[in-house]
Amino acid sequence: MIERDLTVSNRLGLHARATAKLVQLLSGYRSSATLIAKGREVNAKSIMGVMLLAAGQGTQIRLRVEGEDEARVADAVAALFERSFDEDQ
Amino acid sequence: MRQELSGLAASRGSALGRARVRLPHVVDVVAEYIDPADVDAELARLHDAIDRVRTEMHAMRDRLQGALAHEVGEFLDLHALLLDDPELLHGLDELIRTDHSSADYALRQQRDRIAAVFARMDDDYFRSRMDDIDQVIARVHASLHRRLDDTTGVAGEVLVTDNVAPAELAQLQQQGVVAIVTSSGSALSHSAILARSLHLPMVVGVPGLLQRVNDGDALIVDGGAGTVVIEPRAPDLRTHRAQLRAQSRDQRELNRLRRQPNRSRDDVSIQVHANAESREGVAEAHALGATGIGLYRTEFLFLRSNDLPEEQEQFQAYRDLVLGMSGRPVTIRTLDLGADKADRTGLALRDEPNPAMGMRGIRLSLARTGLLETQLRAILRASGYGPVRILLPMVTMREEVRAVRAELDRIAAELRREGHEIAPHVALGTMIEVPAAAIALSGFISDIDFVAIGTNDLIQYLLAADRNNDALGELHTLLHPAVLRVMRDVLLLAKKHAIPASVCGEIAGDARFSPLLLALGLEEFSVHPSSLLEVRRTIRSCDVHALRASAPSLMRARDRAQIEQWMQRQLAS
Repeated sequence: MIERDLTVSNRLGLHARATAKLVQLLSGYRSSATLIAKGREVNAKSIMGVMLLAAGQGTQIRLRVEGEDEARVADAVAALFERSFDEDQ
Repeated sequence: MRQELSGLAASRGSALGRARVRLPHVVDVVAEYIDPADVDAELARLHDAIDRVRTEMHAMRDRLQGALAHEVGEFLDLHALLLDDPELLHGLDELIRTDHSSADYALRQQRDRIAAVFARMDDDYFRSRMDDIDQVIARVHASLHRRLDDTTGVAGEVLVTDNVAPAELAQLQQQGVVAIVTSSGSALSHSAILARSLHLPMVVGVPGLLQRVNDGDALIVDGGAGTVVIEPRAPDLRTHRAQLRAQSRDQRELNRLRRQPNRSRDDVSIQVHANAESREGVAEAHALGATGIGLYRTEFLFLRSNDLPEEQEQFQAYRDLVLGMSGRPVTIRTLDLGADKADRTGLALRDEPNPAMGMRGIRLSLARTGLLETQLRAILRASGYGPVRILLPMVTMREEVRAVRAELDRIAAELRREGHEIAPHVALGTMIEVPAAAIALSGFISDIDFVAIGTNDLIQYLLAADRNNDALGELHTLLHPAVLRVMRDVLLLAKKHAIPASVCGEIAGDARFSPLLLALGLEEFSVHPSSLLEVRRTIRSCDVHALRASAPSLMRARDRAQIEQWMQRQLAS
């Protein structure tokens, strides 16, 4: 199991488009992924779950991944967050 | 009998039509249970319904073409992801399997559970995303009853419904719907955003809508005011007609400007490019008929993350820009970063005593090995997709230009060896924003292909007036004899050497100054998209030859008052 602390840095936060990007990315991997923020824990592979986090810009999020490709998943997700979901700011 | 309803203004425009009321699919579902023996059959019924919606969405996506495809496509993808959402589906299956709820009732319960969580969110934007979930659930519910596509034959009608999905919206407009009114939803919803880009009038969140409007009622929808008039009377119709006239006048004028060449009253061709720094800005510039992008700022690529953007990331951004202007020229300015801008990459020196005169612009690019090379490689690669010009900021001397030119030639040869398709010649130009560059321009004009005058900085350095210092007030102004002389010299020199010269500061976008800039000899403006049409309108009303003929008297002005008098005289003539 790997845990990583991430910050939502894009302006709109984990809005629909960013969430779709995250879910699409994760769908390519076998590991399970969970996001933990604001006292809530959601399945990161569920677009509805991630939207329910209502994570705006600046939200601190803990990512937890578990499975055979967990290291690659953690790196890929962290990179997506760092790239601010490829959005123009 | 006349009634007036109020909701939220979601998309401007006024429309008159008969109401087509579409009753909600889910809202009235009551508690309904099935025989435990029928669980498998009910699960199959639900999943068949979901499969049908999925197929329909794929078909819709395939039908989408042109500019809308990208925008609507993203909403469709989002809804398709929701249809496959493990949490949503698992919850539904559980309700059928364990509680023996009917598929309809399971949808209702699941919807209410999710809505309760969304309702507690503080942020309007996030809360409004419940619309997307509602729309998907409504479509599945409709599909359970095989009621998809129930809005055929709606041409000339106003759709009155509880909620509408973005994907449907494009379809509805194609079918001829003239306006949309919904009882729920927010002005921030994806549907509202899309309605605005489709110019389809829309009012959302109208309380009691479905109880008060009947199928076939005549309606006037005012998307700007957020009102719906049922069975309008004579005064309503008069107001509506006046609005339509104003709307079409505006539209005609804009459309005319968009399509017409940029020519002055005496038929001199003037370029009006747009400044941009995002995909949205480029789309706007394109839609408004900009003749090109005169200044594309690349800073945002560097400011948005803690790492320097790699070549591929930059290439994609520049290629999208070039493609976005479909063949019109784009001018990409290399990184113009200095210690005055927030910088998370640690690239610019922090705590420089005087950032405006410090390590910024081309100085920074040349000082950091690799920085310029990566950016030039990315820009050159994008040049294979359409006309590109490279603009260097903060140049003060010939050596800087020659260093970049040498690098550019080396990289172009390298890229060709690597098999990249790049343009045979990519124009290289400099910003004229430091007085030294303006004065020394004759010494290096043969090294460059174009110039762009950056008035904001040029005025700051010429007049030693910090552009961000409010206390200086009117001291930072174009209306100073020194500024006019320097600009006139640069424009004349460029003309003599037959290279294009533009002005891309804020002044270019201020239509009050357009006659003055034309008098100085300017033929290429680059302005914020929001000023584009106004500047074009002003240029079209100007007599460029007469303005140029009066340039000598402008250049004789000895102070601000005399320059203002010249401007007044032009207005009067």
